[in-house]
Amino acid sequence: MEIVEIEAEGMTVAVLEGRLDTATAPAAEARLLALLAERPVVADLSAVRYVSSAGLRVLLKAAKQGTASGHGFSICGLQSPVREVFEISGFDRIITAYPTRAEALAA
Amino acid sequence: MAGSMELSLRLRPEAEAVPVLLDRLEAYAWEAGLPPAAAQRLALVCEEWLANVAMHGAGASFAELALWREADGLHLRLADDGPAFDPLAEPPPDTECPLGERMAGGLGLHLMRRMTRRLDYAREAGRNRLLAVLDVA
Repeated sequence: MEIVEIEAEGMTVAVLEGRLDTATAPAAEARLLALLAERPVVADLSAVRYVSSAGLRVLLKAAKQGTASGHGFSICGLQSPVREVFEISGFDRIITAYPTRAEALAA
Repeated sequence: MAGSMELSLRLRPEAEAVPVLLDRLEAYAWEAGLPPAAAQRLALVCEEWLANVAMHGAGASFAELALWREADGLHLRLADDGPAFDPLAEPPPDTECPLGERMAGGLGLHLMRRMTRRLDYAREAGRNRLLAVLDVA
């Protein structure tokens, strides 16, 4: 999994690409939590084609860290198979998701 | 196309084998012409199974997967020789609770159950066996 960081509007956009799965979750988690220590983070998932429960746990931790640090964490650009996994898991109710990066940055 | 396509894999029962598994399943899905939703369900069920064997199956020496297509969907047979573990016996996670109280456990088994039309568990001859049927459409 590739993660590219972009600074915008006082936030960090973490652009994830590939699969967020058992193998890639530990590195993604370390990166997102480190970024959240500095400023608000938007995770752009528009190039993520697959998220398993290991990936969901990363996003859950990031959302909790975002709340605890007061910086805030949101996601954007969910592909439809990934959105289905979110909805089945109830994550659409606990993690703020925007259709596009522009909408996430404007929020 | 390729209606009888079969796949069988013997995997090391460890998390490091997950990328191998997912790569093989993506190749299978492409060759079999599976719709994206079906490919996603297949990958999820198999990853959650293997991750569970890796996490709870201390002592498992193998994890085996067999996959074939029938008129009613994709059939999966998953086997490992780790300690007895019935994923259907675990309580489902509370998907309604708010962020602060939301726990991370149970999600994988929840996804396995939700992504299969049928899921049966048996402990036979020292092996965990799961039989799953997944919708193709």
